[in-house]
This record gives sequence, structure tokens and C-alpha cells, in this order.
Amino acid sequence: MFSWSGLLTPSIFAEIAKKQQKRCILMWLCGAPSQFETWDPKPGRITGGPFGSIRTKIPGVHFSELMPQCATIADKLSIIRSMKTEPTEHFQAIDRLTRGDAPRPPFTRPTLGSVLGQQLGQLDSPIPNFILLDPCPEGNEFKSFKAGNWAGWLGAEYGPVRLGGDYKIPDVHKLSDITTEDHEEREALRHFLTRKYENDRQSAAAASQNAAFQRVKGLMSCADLFDLEKLPTKDRERYGQGTFGQHTLLARHLVENGAPFVMVANGMPWDCHVFQHEIYQMLVPDLDNIIYQLVTDLEDRGMLEDTLVVMMGEFGRTPWLNASRGRDHYPNAWSLALAGSGIQRGAVIGATDEDGIEVTENPFDEKNLFATMFTALGIDPYAEYDLPGFPTFHRVEKEAKPIHEVLV
Amino acid sequence: MKIELNKEIKLPSAALGVCEIPGEDHLLVSCFDGSILKLNTKDETWEELGKHGSYASGIVTCLDGTMAVSAGYDGVIQWHDLKNGKTFAVEKIHPFWSWQLKVSHDTRMVASVSGQYLCGGYKYEPAAEKDPSIKVFNTKTQELVCAFTHLPPVLSVAFSPDNRHLAAGNMMGDIKVWNLEMGRLVREWNSPDFTSWGVIKSHHYIGGIFDLSFSLDGNRLLACGMGPMRDPMAGNGKQTWQEFDWNADTPVKTREIIDHERGRGLMETLSFHPKGKVFCMAGRMAQGNWNTALFSNETGELLQGLDNKIRITRSTFSDDGKQLILTGAKSQGSPKDGKWSKFGSVLIYDVKDA
Repeated sequence: MFSWSGLLTPSIFAEIAKKQQKRCILMWLCGAPSQFETWDPKPGRITGGPFGSIRTKIPGVHFSELMPQCATIADKLSIIRSMKTEPTEHFQAIDRLTRGDAPRPPFTRPTLGSVLGQQLGQLDSPIPNFILLDPCPEGNEFKSFKAGNWAGWLGAEYGPVRLGGDYKIPDVHKLSDITTEDHEEREALRHFLTRKYENDRQSAAAASQNAAFQRVKGLMSCADLFDLEKLPTKDRERYGQGTFGQHTLLARHLVENGAPFVMVANGMPWDCHVFQHEIYQMLVPDLDNIIYQLVTDLEDRGMLEDTLVVMMGEFGRTPWLNASRGRDHYPNAWSLALAGSGIQRGAVIGATDEDGIEVTENPFDEKNLFATMFTALGIDPYAEYDLPGFPTFHRVEKEAKPIHEVLV
Repeated sequence: MKIELNKEIKLPSAALGVCEIPGEDHLLVSCFDGSILKLNTKDETWEELGKHGSYASGIVTCLDGTMAVSAGYDGVIQWHDLKNGKTFAVEKIHPFWSWQLKVSHDTRMVASVSGQYLCGGYKYEPAAEKDPSIKVFNTKTQELVCAFTHLPPVLSVAFSPDNRHLAAGNMMGDIKVWNLEMGRLVREWNSPDFTSWGVIKSHHYIGGIFDLSFSLDGNRLLACGMGPMRDPMAGNGKQTWQEFDWNADTPVKTREIIDHERGRGLMETLSFHPKGKVFCMAGRMAQGNWNTALFSNETGELLQGLDNKIRITRSTFSDDGKQLILTGAKSQGSPKDGKWSKFGSVLIYDVKDA
């Protein structure tokens, strides 16, 4: 059982995780990718679409033919083909699949990034504990979600620092017309005065502003880490020229330099109600290469064992095509992939029927998934949040079981 | 001129291509399930003439209706002998889909266009092709006559009425015209009005020129698709055709669909009536009141628009001009009691007052 103070200071589990330098990259495939054109192809079936399937390094397991590179590292991935969730619309599903449970107003459960930022990160770290890389300023329902409360009851300091694409970190470079000494003296004076104000007035607003200054100060010290231009050209070429590849490379670079959690998104391009196959012919090969480069890089750098990589969207796509060449929303039977920290290599869990309509083995929902991710990172999935005046909440409710088959 | 529905024949799989067999009450239809069907339009029965490994995207007849040629998303061209109903040659001609297959007016050549949209830049500009996207074959010998390069994906192709020129359009609105006798590029230009880049939701390109057709005098080239969208996943760009004086020193747009006559949705097919006074454009309706329409070639005005309630994939007038034949698909729908509904259609319209 956790106490409130236990959550404010690093927990036992988080301590262990920190010692092991656990971290997580969430490749958020917003809009919801089709399982048929990725991890659970049904070639030759009426639902299969135009793309075939290819063998993978795991005997008897096939991926979409659009994923030839992932096929060669299938023995480093775990695939769950039996996700079965409830929400059918993006906003609700994004909310559910990033927080791990259904909403219970007026209480707001923190998102995965906020929980992991709290558990795996350090409040005084110059690198933000929760970084969201997403270059697309719009994105319909994802835009609405992005405007919401990510950190929930953990508090705003566990919210994400967002950048990517046109979202540069503004004003984090020291002004050129003052010396370093001047800059530091000004900051010391500001810190002294605002701290005094905060203490004298017991002002939460002042405390929040001080926290923001601390964050900016941290960002100033590590601004170069966020600069894509400073990454080796060869690395940038390997990850592909598109924004998602570039930002996934940046995510690797950031976790390599101490960021505990980075979420990479790219608007919500996977929501192909029209032109499904016309867009997936580009999106999936791009994703295939990015996953391959990331997992291979982490392995080569000795980081894969301690870095959980999650590749998922908010649901899957319908087995049947609509009249606009698209697949619609489908939470009944969909797939996702995991790799790295605490995750079995080469596991393919769950199954769907021959047309991909129903889960036939081992249905799992968001609670099972969150219990799995927390366990894989050495975090107690059932720890109780001790929130004064709140009902009882746990990281994962109802002691939902982790997916043991994918855990080491 | 007006069209009236004569009959709709429902097929188990979506239909992507159609052609007449000259002198017979049969059509050839290419389908999502890869099948090439020989469809008896009288008794509405069919037999399978061939089978592709993926969607069969195009079907044409040639050599006085003795031979048919099909192509598919398997990148394969198949040659079918219509006398004995056998597929006698199969060749992989593209590393990716054949998006469209057309036959020259003298039926001596067929052209197939291909190309995969792959990420080639920070904004997901399409990457350059690794294999020529346009391939032309001699129908008598089945040999490759020439191959042309373009920026993939190349979605549409058309032969000029005199069979001397070939035009092809791509996702980015680039149109190229080659002289087939000299085997060289003679014109190229771009129309920005068919392509979207996702301002919201998804930062990539989408759309393009989905069909091309020369006017019967060969002086003009028509292109169709839909106009730009902010949200590329909405599928609600304006229904669009544009006409070009392709042979001008610098090709110019001469006219386009009248704005107040159009709704929204992707237009996938263009075809001229044999007399050349009317052309048909059809596709999908996202908003508006028609997905199939007849236009005056003289004025560009809409003569008749109708809503088929399905997505139209291909249109062709019969050689005698008395019928308009459309293929298409409705939503596949979920199975009922374990059975899938027929979601493909062939629509046969009678042409009145031609």
C-alpha cells in the first residue's frame, strides 16, 4: 500500500527502476492503425485488403507485407493480437488508452507519461520527465485531447513538455547581449525575490511560476538535446525523412540522455476512413523502418533491456471496407506491439478469427495493458493513490492481470 | 442526352474495371477479390476468366475482341484468350500496383501505370520511382514497347485518339504527355487543384488525378479527381474536372467544372460518349446531389446528375453509344449470420436522345 508521501517521493519501485535506468518510448499511432495492414494480416480473406503477408523471424508468424524490416526483428518484439476495448470514438479511446481506465468525473486519472515521469524521473532533472513530440498542431480529436489535463491528480508538474516540427522550445537561449555572469546574477535575484514572495504569501501561483522557471532553466541547460540539426546526418537518413522518423530518432536521443518518458506522435494520420490503402502504402513502410531503426539502435547501444517501447493507437480498424476505400473504427479486435524492458522477445499473444472480426484467444483490455507496462518497468501496478478527499484509486484498478505471456 | 437505369447487377466483390466484349451480351469485370469475371448481362450470371493475386484494377479487350488484358494490385498483367477462355500469359510488370490500365483506340497497345507513395521528405513528399511507372505493351506480341518515368504514384493514363500520344497523371497533379512514335516526353505541367496536404490530422499528401481522357478530336485533355482538403481524411474535396490545351507550347487550363454545379467527393472516372458531344464523370459523393454526371463537351455545363448511392470506380460508353456502363462498390458491411453481402455492382444505363 502506498502513502501520499510515498507518491510524492520516489517509491520503492521507482527507485529500483531508476537504478536500472528504466525508461519508455511510446510511439503513439494516433487515429488508430489497421491491424490488417500491420501485425495481424488476413491475406486472401474478404477482409484482407490488397496487401499480402510475409514470413517473419518467428516460424509460422506473418506480418503485413508492408513491414519487411519488422519481420526481420520479430524475435525482438512482442505482438498482442487480441486487444478488445470499448470506446469507439477517438477522444474517448485516446483518453482510455493513454490513462488506462474509463473516466470517473470529476477525478482525472494521470496519463501513462505522467505516471512514468513521476515514477521513473526526478523532479530536479533538467530534462523534462515527460516529453511529447508531435509536430501536427491540429489533429481533430487528438488536438482536443492535447488541450486537456494530462497529469490529472498528480499535478501540473507531471504534465508534458511539448515540442516537435514547428513547436520549437522558444526563448531558451541566453540573450547574446548579456554575459553569463549577468545572466546568472539576474536569475539569482529573480529566484531570491520570487521565493521570498512565495514563502511570505504562501502563494500557489508563485510556486507554480517558480516551478515553470526551474523547468525553463533546465531546458536552457539541455536545449541542444532537442535540436534535430545536431544529430548525425547518417542517423537522420536511417530513420527516414518524414517527421515521425525524425522525432522518433529524437526520442531515442532524449532517452539516451536521461529522459524517462517520451511520447512520439504525428497528428492522427492513421484514421483512414477514406483512402486507407492509398495512405497505408506510405505510412506503414515508414513506420516499419522507424520501428526497425529504433529497436535495433536501442539493442546496439545496450539500452533495449531497460527501455520499454510501446507501439499502439487507440483502437483498430474495421474488417470491412466502407464505400470510400476506408476502414472505420474497430475496438473489438486489434493489435499492438511492445519491445524492450521486461518484455518477452518473439512472443505473439492472442488471436483473431480468420476474417479478423472477433478475438478468439486471450482478450485483453487497457487495464491488462497498463498492468503489463507498469510491471515491465518494475512499477507496482496496484499501488494505491492516497489522495485526500478522493475516493480510492489505484494505478490499475480491480487488480487487472498483466499479460504474463509477454512479460519476461 | 439523358441516361436511365436499365439494370444493376450485384457482384460478390467490389468492381474496379469493366469493358465490353464486342458483339456479345457480355462484359468483362475486374474485382477486389482479384477475379476477372465474364458477366452475361442478359441472365446476370458470370464465370471467372482469370484471377489476380490482389485487387484486379483494370480490364480491356483488344484485337477485335479476341483477347482481353487485365492488370492488378499484384503488379501483374494477364493476357486472356477470349475464344477459349484461357489465360495464356502472365507477367509481373510492376513492383507495386497497376493503378490503371488503358487500351489504345486501335487496340494495338495497352498501357499500365504504377508507383508506390513512399515518404521522400520531411513533409512526406513522394519519393522518386525505382522502376519506370508507365509501361506500354504491344497487344499482338505482349512485348514491352516502351517505359516512361514519372513521379509516383501514377494513378491515371490515356491514349490520344490517333494513338500517337500517351498522357499520365500522378498524385501530385503532375501530367506528362509522351509521343509514342518518338518515345519521348513532349509536354509536362502541373495542376495544383487535385492534391491535398493535410493541414490538420495528417501531414502528408493525398489525392491526385484519378482519370484522364483526351477529347475525341485529340486537342484537349480532361483530368478528374477532387479539390484540396484541409483534412485529407475527410474525402470531401470538391468534385473536379479540368480541361487542358495540352499541345500548347505551355499547356494551359482551358476550362473546368462550373463551381456551383459540383458537390464534394472523389471523382474517379471520365469517359466520352462515342459522338464526343458529352462526357461522363463519376465517383463518390460526400456532399451534394450527384456522384455520376453528364457534361456538355461544348459548354462544360452539367446536363444530368444522379446519385447511384455507391462509389463509382469506372465508366465506359458502349461502342454504339446506346449504353453507359458503370462499376462500383458500396460499403462492404459486416457479415449477417456469417454471410457477406454482395458489395460490388455493375450499373447499365440506357442512353436516350444521343
